[in-house]
Amino acid sequence: MPPFILGIETSCDDTSASVVEGTIVRSNVTANQEIHKEFGGVVPELASRAHQQNIVPVIEAAIRRANIRKNQLAAVAFTQGPGLLGSLLVGSSFAKSFALAMEIPLIEVDHMQAHILAHFLEDPQNQRPLPSFPFVCLTVSGGHTQIVLVRDYFDMEVLGQTIDDAAGEAFDKSAKILGLPYPGGPIIDKLAAGGDPVRFSFSRPNIPALDYSFSGLKTSILYFIRDELKKDPAFIEENKRDLCASIQATIVEILMGKLKLAVEEIRDTRYAIPDHGSRIVDVAIAGGVSANSALRKALLETADKEGWNAFIPQFEYTTDNAAMIAVAGYFKFLKGDFTKQSAISYARSRW
Amino acid sequence: MVNEYSVKSEIGLPEIARKLLASYPDKRIFALYGTMGAGKTTFIKAICRELGVEDEALSPTFSIINEYHTHKQIPVYHFDFYRINKLEEVYDIGYEEYLFSGNYCLLEWPELIEELLPAETVKVSITGEQERIIAF
Repeated sequence: MPPFILGIETSCDDTSASVVEGTIVRSNVTANQEIHKEFGGVVPELASRAHQQNIVPVIEAAIRRANIRKNQLAAVAFTQGPGLLGSLLVGSSFAKSFALAMEIPLIEVDHMQAHILAHFLEDPQNQRPLPSFPFVCLTVSGGHTQIVLVRDYFDMEVLGQTIDDAAGEAFDKSAKILGLPYPGGPIIDKLAAGGDPVRFSFSRPNIPALDYSFSGLKTSILYFIRDELKKDPAFIEENKRDLCASIQATIVEILMGKLKLAVEEIRDTRYAIPDHGSRIVDVAIAGGVSANSALRKALLETADKEGWNAFIPQFEYTTDNAAMIAVAGYFKFLKGDFTKQSAISYARSRW
Repeated sequence: MVNEYSVKSEIGLPEIARKLLASYPDKRIFALYGTMGAGKTTFIKAICRELGVEDEALSPTFSIINEYHTHKQIPVYHFDFYRINKLEEVYDIGYEEYLFSGNYCLLEWPELIEELLPAETVKVSITGEQERIIAF
């Protein structure tokens, strides 16, 4: 029987807890009004004080919904970083106390590695193939844009990343320019469905190697909209769908361009992997923006053309969640890779 | 006294960053005012390089606070209050721990927390489009 692992994620806005049984999710809970109703109370908005109010109800709910008792848990895993220190501390303090009280091992997990390891979460009702090592993963979210070479569960190398704004931020800030509410990424995705993706053209970054930049695109969209609004105050309203489709297509094109380049580079020399011929054929996406329909479509189409196997995580495991922390904890549990009570959180990425 | 510098491209930023730091050798909190796309993050990148930061300075819009380290392992904090809806959220982050740490704090969208800015904050504005005017 695989062990039950409790995962706790508090790196940014959401307080989440999850119980996995090996790689199978038994519960995955994020603080919301409903959880607080179960426990009594209301949910506050952001940051560490909110986490403090959320953490106990969320963990109670995760254990209850997994239909286990807390003494069945084999270990507790928590997000060590990167993230907001005050927020991380709430999760790590709880995890440490819980590990002490229950006399079970404590496991630290890197948030960015966990996004990638979410691909190994399995659903018994919906068996899907898993990526095989080594593979390339594009992790895209509101705060991150990284191309990672994944050699093994915890042997990963960042090949390229954004030098300014994240891809998710490009979506959110473009939405803001169009007068849509924050975070506007999912709204752009929805509106883009009926729009013409090649109607408007925006500047593409010219960044060396495998790094990304989205800051120039944001400025280009901003000035374009401002100039058009001068000529026609109803410009956004009249062209909203085409604008959304064109912006989305540009972001996706930028993302896919470097991803393709990364796979080619790995096939060639720079990151050539011994005993693997010269082909990396498994390519994955992870993070909140991997829920974007145009990115998913572009990945599948490129995979078809290039002969890749494409992997897209289940929707609920794309954004920040605790199931990915718990499953990363499970893989560390198998290695006996435990941490001490003295583990400290970190704000910035370690790799 | 207000210093005003105009820059036509990113190439001019390191020099202005040096002048900014040299003009306020005892100050640690710098608030950057400017509309979206004005170049706040880009100028902060230049300031960070002058401070000897080894990491790439990135937009903290999502993370709210980015922490970088100089080659002497001294932290530099990069804030972005764009996502802040209420001052209460800034209290919740524990902003005092950072702003009163004695380490460099570089702030984007400070107008959203104007009343929490310490009196010794250096205000830097970035305006203009083709040619940016940086004033402090």
